[in-house]
Formats: sequence, structure tokens, C-alpha cells
Amino acid sequence: MKKLLGILGICSLTIASAQDFLSNLSTQELFGSIQARHIGPALMSGRVSDIEGHPTDRNIIYIGTAGGGVWKSEDGGVLFSSIFDKHCQSIGTVKVDPNDPDRVVWVGTGETWTRNSTSVGDGIYKSTDGGANWKKMGLEKSERISNIVINPDNSDEIYVSVLGALWGDSEERGVYKSTDGGQTWEKIFYVNATTGCSDLIVDPNDFKTMYASFWEFRRTAWSFSSGGTNSALYKTTDGGKTWNKIHNGFPEGKLGRIGVGLAPSNSKIIYAVVESEKDEDKGLYRSDDGGANWKHLNNDFALTVRPFYFSRIVVDPKDPEVITKAGLFGAISKDGGKTFKQMGSMHADIHDIWFDIEDPTRTYVATDGGLYRSLNKFVTLERIENLPISQFYHVSMDNQEPYKIYGGLQDNGSWVGPSASPGGIEARNWESVGAGDGFRVFPHPTNPNIVYSEMQGAENVWRYDLKTQQLKVIKPYPEDIDQKLRFNWNAALSTSIHYPDRLYLGSQYLHVSDDMGETWRVISPDLTTNDPAKQNQENSGGLSKDNSGAENHCTIFTIAESPIDRQLLWVGTDDGNIQVSKDAGKTWTDVTPNFSGKLAPKNTWVYHIEADKFNKGTAWAVLDGHTNNDDKPYLIKTTDFGKTWELKVDSTVVGFTRSFEQDNKNPDILFLGTEFGLYVSVNGGDSWGKFENNMPSVAIHYMEMHPQKHDLVMGTHGRGVIIIDDLTPIRNLKEIEAKGNAFSEALTFLPTPTYHMNEKNNFGNTSTETQFVGANPSDNAKIIYFLKKRHTFGKMTMEIKDDQGNLITRMGPGKKKGLNIVEWNYSMNAPKIAKGKTFDFGGFVAPRVKAGKYTVVIKKGKKEYTSHVEVAYPKQSVFTASDRQLQYETVTAMYNMIEDLAYLVYQIDYHLELAKPFESHKKYKKSVLPMVEKLNELKETLVITSGDNYVGAAEPRLREKMSDLFGTIAGYPGRPGKNQLKNLRGLETAHSDAYESYRKILLKEVTRFIDFTSKEFPDKVFDPKKTKEEFLEDK
Amino acid sequence: MMKIGLSVIVLMISWVSFSQSADEIVSKYLETTGGVENWKKVKSQKVAASVNAQGMKIPVEFWSFADGRTYSAFTLQGKTMVQQVFDGEKGYEMNFMTQKMEEIDAESVENLKRNKGDFPSPFIDYKEKGYTVEKLEDATVEGVDCFKIKFTAGKKLSEGKEVDDVTYYYFDKENFVPIVVETTIKMGPMAGKTSQTVMSDYDEVDGLYFPFSIQEKLKEGEGMGQTITFDKIELNVEADKSMFDFSEFEKK
Repeated sequence: MKKLLGILGICSLTIASAQDFLSNLSTQELFGSIQARHIGPALMSGRVSDIEGHPTDRNIIYIGTAGGGVWKSEDGGVLFSSIFDKHCQSIGTVKVDPNDPDRVVWVGTGETWTRNSTSVGDGIYKSTDGGANWKKMGLEKSERISNIVINPDNSDEIYVSVLGALWGDSEERGVYKSTDGGQTWEKIFYVNATTGCSDLIVDPNDFKTMYASFWEFRRTAWSFSSGGTNSALYKTTDGGKTWNKIHNGFPEGKLGRIGVGLAPSNSKIIYAVVESEKDEDKGLYRSDDGGANWKHLNNDFALTVRPFYFSRIVVDPKDPEVITKAGLFGAISKDGGKTFKQMGSMHADIHDIWFDIEDPTRTYVATDGGLYRSLNKFVTLERIENLPISQFYHVSMDNQEPYKIYGGLQDNGSWVGPSASPGGIEARNWESVGAGDGFRVFPHPTNPNIVYSEMQGAENVWRYDLKTQQLKVIKPYPEDIDQKLRFNWNAALSTSIHYPDRLYLGSQYLHVSDDMGETWRVISPDLTTNDPAKQNQENSGGLSKDNSGAENHCTIFTIAESPIDRQLLWVGTDDGNIQVSKDAGKTWTDVTPNFSGKLAPKNTWVYHIEADKFNKGTAWAVLDGHTNNDDKPYLIKTTDFGKTWELKVDSTVVGFTRSFEQDNKNPDILFLGTEFGLYVSVNGGDSWGKFENNMPSVAIHYMEMHPQKHDLVMGTHGRGVIIIDDLTPIRNLKEIEAKGNAFSEALTFLPTPTYHMNEKNNFGNTSTETQFVGANPSDNAKIIYFLKKRHTFGKMTMEIKDDQGNLITRMGPGKKKGLNIVEWNYSMNAPKIAKGKTFDFGGFVAPRVKAGKYTVVIKKGKKEYTSHVEVAYPKQSVFTASDRQLQYETVTAMYNMIEDLAYLVYQIDYHLELAKPFESHKKYKKSVLPMVEKLNELKETLVITSGDNYVGAAEPRLREKMSDLFGTIAGYPGRPGKNQLKNLRGLETAHSDAYESYRKILLKEVTRFIDFTSKEFPDKVFDPKKTKEEFLEDK
Repeated sequence: MMKIGLSVIVLMISWVSFSQSADEIVSKYLETTGGVENWKKVKSQKVAASVNAQGMKIPVEFWSFADGRTYSAFTLQGKTMVQQVFDGEKGYEMNFMTQKMEEIDAESVENLKRNKGDFPSPFIDYKEKGYTVEKLEDATVEGVDCFKIKFTAGKKLSEGKEVDDVTYYYFDKENFVPIVVETTIKMGPMAGKTSQTVMSDYDEVDGLYFPFSIQEKLKEGEGMGQTITFDKIELNVEADKSMFDFSEFEKK
């Protein structure tokens, strides 16, 4: 053993120099036990983009989501689990291999419902174990994959339709084919760099027959265009070698997005929804001859609404005349498309529909508000309540205890909810504080009843009083009636660090209110480029006009006040400007030329500015180029008020950037949110690592560190609110590093604060098994240490001791390489309980320790490491010191009494055991039996010797009575009740009576027994009775 | 000792070669922990362990045998109780309400039967048993660079359905011992979540290496899970006949 360890020790890597010790660690080592905590919520859920079932097992359902990854249900949609956390969370399509459906699943990333806020994909993935592990199989630049078709007789033959880039030209579009299970891909059908394949379906009766729709489309930050001469529907009958346009009966002129659906029960019947130039020929077309001829059936609203967002048709698997169409509300036709009826009530914006393979009345619908399930074919629908895929645009926090989190969501309003709640954070803990699409929501900095929220394009900005439920619209109006204020879809609203009643709001100007929105003044000129070419939203949309406000441009997007200087303001715009004012808005300096076109392309969206928390002239700006088809990350830093800038990202950082936060105490600890997750730097941005401890690769739209709790709170666009609790250990590591040479030991303890016990008690939550409940933060004491190497060989133990060196409890130590956090729930060992027939539930109570300083002893191999952990009562408590003293004394007395009783019962059992060998002795009745009878008689009064742990329970005996009272008193940190103390007096009497009875038995019956054995068996040696100390040793 | 020293040298040389096949990794694991031939000599194993739960040290005992029999018992509040016993054909487990042994459901027994040949390690002669290993992308667990192996031990039943019996092993690249094992929970309210077994405190018993500390937890999210510490491992022990005598349990 020694030899093995020795050799391994020699071979372990030598540690880098002390200064860059932490920067050289992986994020997993650095953060070790620190895990992200997901609090959802799931009550409003989020956009589901695709549904896929298993071909033979109706209970297996996969969903792809717009920004929350892939989820799998194995019970027909009752419960879902996230199965794609490590990868891109924006999903275009999920496909199960019909040849090996339990194992092989494909995911094409990149949502194809191309709204302004849609994310991007990064290729195609394959799992061969039902979704537990994934491997990227190429098509990295595909951005959006609309469909995957697998040969039902050959898993290696796969066709993939790539819609491709939304924000620019791309040649990675069209239909791709693999004949080697995805190892290599051949582009077999391509139109041009602006036209992608939006749908690909296959004839289930003839795999060589496929239908592919192509769509010419483009989005910019200020416009959207759907349609062109290249949009078309094609058919192949030779497995993709040749493709023919099938437009006989289609409208003339330019076409837009075309959705195609095939009736599985009669594959000659094809449906297509077509976006065209004229309103009268838009809508549903039907072919009864495999696409050779088409007939226009319907141009109802449900069939023509926003084709870029809703273009899926799904036909009932058993009835070719039953068609469903995604849309604002979703519609169903039961007469082959002649007439449609709206689906039942659910969240608006339906993207996909799934029919159960065995029973088509059981159906599933994907919406902007999560997944719905119907047992009566869309008449009534129930929402799945455990999908925390909510898409936050922003988060903020207050200083309440526990603090609350505020934020707005895509198509799901604005909300406030707690960071902790008894039994977990439930749906019912969240309160609605805004309508429409929700964006930036803020609490009033000093009045916790006041909340500000907004909807898209600042169409409404609200001030809401949670207490009086008064709701006032407080948006600013233009000073001149003819003037137009340009607000971003996600308008820049902010409270102030320095003035509690102040609000900022950005249009093209910076607006300020100092009376909570009652009056506004403009404190800047137009800070944008004011490019008229980017302000033509009225004509946006292409073939289907779409002026929702989503394309509003040349607007202020981010506003930052310096925490150091109240006069210093930074503003960033969506068209690439950064402007700074050192005099509270009197004058502005455009610092854009100092970085634009140098560190990032011109007009790159300034997504977030953070005024440095430590240096006045320093600011950090996060630029997002994705709307210019640029997916590179940009974090730029100035230290001279914007005169000069430098880029602070390295090649580790993947994905375009949206959010940033600096640690509250250490200027070198930085957090950067990209479209694909969270990155951390501990050296001021010189190098970065990805944080993956329970953290999905999700887009982080905003993040902020709580000023008191030091939690990093992230608003993710697809996985709700995610929190990394208390980052002080990372700061502490930095402090230790700064001392130099401090990690020379195998184990280094980190300092910990005094931990205040949480003495609140409650009856838990009200959620059912099928509802998502967000995790609570831990309120345990923590023992934190850094291990230079993972402990794998030999023994490692951890004990907590009191100031006298008495053992309080044992715990399992963490053994990771890197940071380990072991939690202690402030409890000591439970008392040793008398042995009975059944369990004594009160005896499972481990009482809490007194406030004070405790010693932590870690033994690792032959070395011993010690540290201390200090615990205190809550800062605010209803209990007085004398209450606590009485409680502590009572609990201690009862603890000892319970163990006394345990020892008494042990002694009784000991004697009874001794008597057993003599049962057949002729003198048994006279010399042994009286002892046995007396002892059993006594024991009967002390512990239960019959019955079970449930309704067959025997009447409680002294043990049960004692520990019941013990559990009750130990469970309440204050003064024991008078009746409880009275009850205790009775138990004490019974306890001493029991010992007295035992003493009498010892004197009489046991003595007679001993006389008998020494006379009859003088050489007999009995097992010695344990002393009380020995008896209690191992508990 | 000599043997271990040599195997470590073998493993050191292996650091140079970057590509390791799944089969090589498994072989190195068996070699480093004592050698296949020595593992094959083990016919039974008795583990005395303890669990620290709610401030209580709960002694537990696990027995397993080459013929598939298993026996586990625990001691709580001084009372020792059988938790589960399986004689290769039939199994019983404790109902904690009535403290009586009840027959294990048919599906679980079937799965126990299918695992019969997996003692003392499912990796021994895995190919002959029709099991497969597949090397996945390397991964970091416990701060350590590991080889990740997907191990498929045939099929098992899950709610009546035949599914692959898959376990993921993370072998420490430095020493080829598994430090984390993962499975996807197939049944119950946690279905779909990943259960993680973290192994440490490896020590030698009769020339073979065993982890003496095992932590069971969920991979996702918070919580320390439950740690079982092995106090003693005995090999090739004889079972008391009464351990597998079910006549008492069968009395209704």
C-alpha cells in the first residue's frame, strides 16, 4: 500500500508557481463542491419548440425547447428530466431512430421558430444510450436544424434539413445526407446562401420519397424578411438524388415559409401551409396525389398567422382527414382542412403537436408557455408543471430576508419570487408583477412594496404596490407630440444605486425620474447612431407584415451608474455606441470610436455595461454581435473612462456574450455569461474557465451578485433563475493565494464565518409530486477546505468536537481534488436508545449543539488537520438566553436519562442472557427463574417488547414516553412548556423507581443466581458486563 | 506488494500512450487492484460497515457470494434486522412498518438473478458474459481526469420492459481505479435522474483493493448524499445456514 501511494505521489504533477496557482486550476477544482441551484420557476414554463415520441413505447416523450435543452419523459409526460445540460440548449428537432428506439436519439440544435430573441444551435448530436450521453456529430455551422429523417431499415442512412443562419448568409444550409451514421455528411441539396430547408418529411411507405420545403428568410436587428423567389416545395423519389419543385396549384410569385404535413395513414395525402404575396391565396393546400396537384382549401387566420413563428402541420396518425396546425391558438380540422376549430384553452403561441401512437385522443401541444397534454384531443388541456424552462431577460434582487428575485420573461410577463421558502420554492410563491412579454423588473431600493416592471417596447412601464395592489402606468411621453421615442423591445429600465426614488429609462434618449416615475426629464441627446435605414419597422416582415416592436432599433439598451461616483453614467446602445457622462448627464462623450471597428466590428450591440465596483475610471462592456451574424464573445474593459479599451476574453470562452458581473469584494473575480453558459475568471479576465457544476450550457441574459449574500443570481433564457450561493470561498482562495506558498499542505482549511442556526420550523410545502419545486439554499454550517490531490487511497475521516475534546458527531469528509465543502446541520449524535422490539421514533432526534466554537478534526492517512467552526443562534430570535439555558439543561438531563435507561435495559438483557444456558437445570426454577421473571417484569415497564412500528404498535413504555418528550423539547429551541416540565418530573420519578427496582433485584434475585452459579459451576467464566462508558462508546 | 509495484509501473508507462481502449482500461483496473486470477479466487465477501445518519452510527452488514446469494442486515437502536436476503432464486426484504420479511417483487428478483454472475466484479470475464464496454469522452469528476466507460451488463427489467443494464464508470487516469459510478434511475419519482456512487479510501484486503468509503448521491443538484464507511472486509467467509433459511418468513 505504502509503496503504491509512494509511487503515485512521486508521479503527481508539480504545482505551478504560487501567484497563478488558482488560474491554473480547472473550474471544477476551483469551485469543487459549489453547485448551481435551480429555482425555476416552472409555473409559467417556457417555449417548447419540438415534440418527439418513441415509435413503439407511447410513454416515452422527448421535447426540444427554445432555450432549455432536451427533456425526456418515460411516463407519458407526467415527469420530465433534462437530458442535454452539457450542450447547446436551443433545439430545432429531436428524432428517435426507428431501428433502435430505446437507444439511439438524435438532436438537431437551433430553434427554427425565428423570433427576434431566438437563440442559435451548434450542430447535430447523437446519443446511443437513450439520452444519457451525447456526442456531437458535426454540422457545427448549421445554426438551425429543422428535421432529421432516418432510414427505418438502416440507422446509418440519415437525412438532415438545415434551415441555417438567421442573421446572415451561410452556405451550410439545405439537405445533408450521411451513409455512415453521422460520421460524415454530404450536402445533397442546396439552393443558395439565403435560403434554407425549413421542413423535411418522408413517406413512411417509401423511404426514398421525401418532401423538402425551402425558405428564403433573413433577420437583422432592425428588420425581418420572409419570402422570395427561392422559397419552394420540392419532392424526391430517389432518396435525394434528384429534387423537383411541386407547385402545381400553388400561388404565383414570391413564396415565404411553407410547412408540410403528411397523413401517416395515407401517404398520398399531403398538406402544405403556404405564405404567399396575396392574402387570398395564403394558407392551407392539399394534395391527394403525393404533391402532384394542390388545391387551396383555407386562408383562415389560424392558417396564415405569422408563418415564421408557426408553420407546423401535424396529421392524426390514424385519420387522414384530421389535421392540426400550430399557430397563435392552435387549430384542428376534422374535415380534411375545409374548416378549422380553435383548440382548447392554453397558453398562446403553439409550435408543435404530438398524437399518441396508440390512442390519438391523447395529445401533446408545445407552446410559449410550456407543454400541454390533452386526453380528449385538444378540447381540454393540462399543463405539465415540472418544466422549469422559463426564459428570463433580466433579474434583480432586493435585500429582504430571504431576498426576493424579480424578472421578466419571454411571452410570460414579470414575476417576483423568493430565493428560499419553507419546503422549497413553489409555484405559489411567485407573484405576477407585469403583463405581456416581461423584461426588466426592479424593486424600489428602500420600499419593498414597490415594484417597477415593463412590457415590450416600454408600451407600458408600471409601478406596482404589492401591499395596496395599486398599479400605475408611469411610462414617459415625448415632449413634442410629433416626436417618436424609440424603445427597444427589451427597453433599458433601471433604478439607481444612489437615489432611492430615481428611475432611468432609455429610448434614444436617457430619461430620468426622481419621483418614482411621476415626472420624467430627458438628460441626454440622441445617444444612438440614429440611422434612418434602421428605423423602417413598419415595413418589416416580408410577405407577412410583422411590426410587433421586436425590431425597434437605434435605442439605448444598457444603463450603468458608477457605484463610486454618482455623477458618472454609462450608456450602451443596440447599434453599437458607448457614451459616458461625468456630470450626471449634462454632457456626454461618445467613446465608441475608441473600440468600435478595432476590438469588435462597428455597430456591434452593446448588451451590457458594468461600471467597475473598485475603480472609478474602469468599466466593462459586453458586446453581442450575433444579430450581425458574428458569434464571437466580446468583453472589453477601459480604465480611463473609455479613452482606451482592451479585449478581455480568451479562446476558452464560447458563444456570443450577453452578461457580466464582477465580484463584490475581489476585483479580479469575474463572471461572464454567454449564449452557451457561464465562464469565470479569477485573474481579472486574463484567462477563463467554464463553470459546469450543475450549470447547463444555457444562455445567461443577465446576472447580478447579491450585495449581502454574495450569491450570483442568473436570469437564464431557458432554464429559469439559477443561483450559485455564497461565493466567498472563491475570494478566500484568492486571499490565501496572495499570501504565497499557502497551498503547500495536502489540505488547507479556508476561513469560515460564524454560522447562524436557522431555528425556523414549518410544515413544509404544498406541491404535489408532479410540480417543480425550486431548491432552497443550505443553512447548515460549512467546513471548507482545499485538497491538493483527490483522496482515493487510505482512510480519511472527519469529526466535530466540543471545546473539551468530546466527540460531538462524525461526518463523511469531501475528498475531491480542489474545493470541498462539508455541511454540518448543527446536530450532535443522537442519544443511545434502550433496545426494544420496535423503533422509538423520538429516539431518532439528534439535538442541536449550543452556540460556540467547535473543533473540526480531519484525519487523512497518518496526518491530522484541525480547524474550527463557530456557530451562533439566529441574529433575530424570539428566545432569551434564559429560555435557551433551561432548554439546554432539560435536553441534556433527558439525553442522559435516556442513555441511563438504555444502559439499564442493557444490564437487564445481560442478566437474562446469562440465565439462558441454565433453563434445563434442575435448580432453574428455584435459583434462576425468579431473577428472569423479575427482570422481565421490570423490562416490560421500560421498553416495548411486542407489536410493530405502525398500527400494530404496543402501548408506549418508559422509553417511548421519555424520548417522545425529549424529541419535543429538543425540537423547540426556546423554553420548554410548563406541562412538559411537569411531565418530565413524572418520568424522572419513574426512571429512579426503575433503577431502585433493579437495585432490589440485584440484591435479591441476581445475588441468588450468582450464588447458584458459583456453587454449581465454580469454574464458569461469564462474559463481563460492559461499563456504561464502554456501552456508550460506539454510538 | 511486489505485484502491486509492478502493476503501478505498468500503469506509469501507460500514461505515455494517450489512447486507451475500453478493454485495456478495464484490464488495467483489474490488474492494478490485484489481478484477475486473484479476483477469481474470491468466492464470498462479508462487509461490516456503518452509515452515519441523523447523528446515529448505524452498523450494516453485507454478504455476497459467487453463486449470487446476498444478505444485508442493519442495527438500529440496538436491534439487528435483516434488510434484504436473496438465495439466488427467491428474495425477502424487511417491511419497516411490521418488521416482517416480505417477498421481493418478481421483477426485482429477476434482476437479482440476472446479476448472479457479477461477483466479485462484473468486469471479470465480461466478454464471455456477453457484456460490453465502450469508452466515452474523457471526463473530469472529483477534480480528477478520468476515463469514462459505459458498461452494459446485458438487459434488465424496468417496469416490465427489457432495457440495457448500463453503468458508467469513471476510472482515475492516474491509477485506474473507479472513483465514480453512475446509473440513470429508471423507476419512481426520481426516474431520469442520475445516481452517483463516489468511491474512495481504497485499501488492501488479501492483496485485492477495495474502496472503503462509498458515498451515494444524486448527480444533479445539492446535497451530500449518504456515506457508507466499510470497517472490515472479509473474503471467502462461510455463511451460516440460518441466514438463507426462509421457512420463518414463509409462515403467513
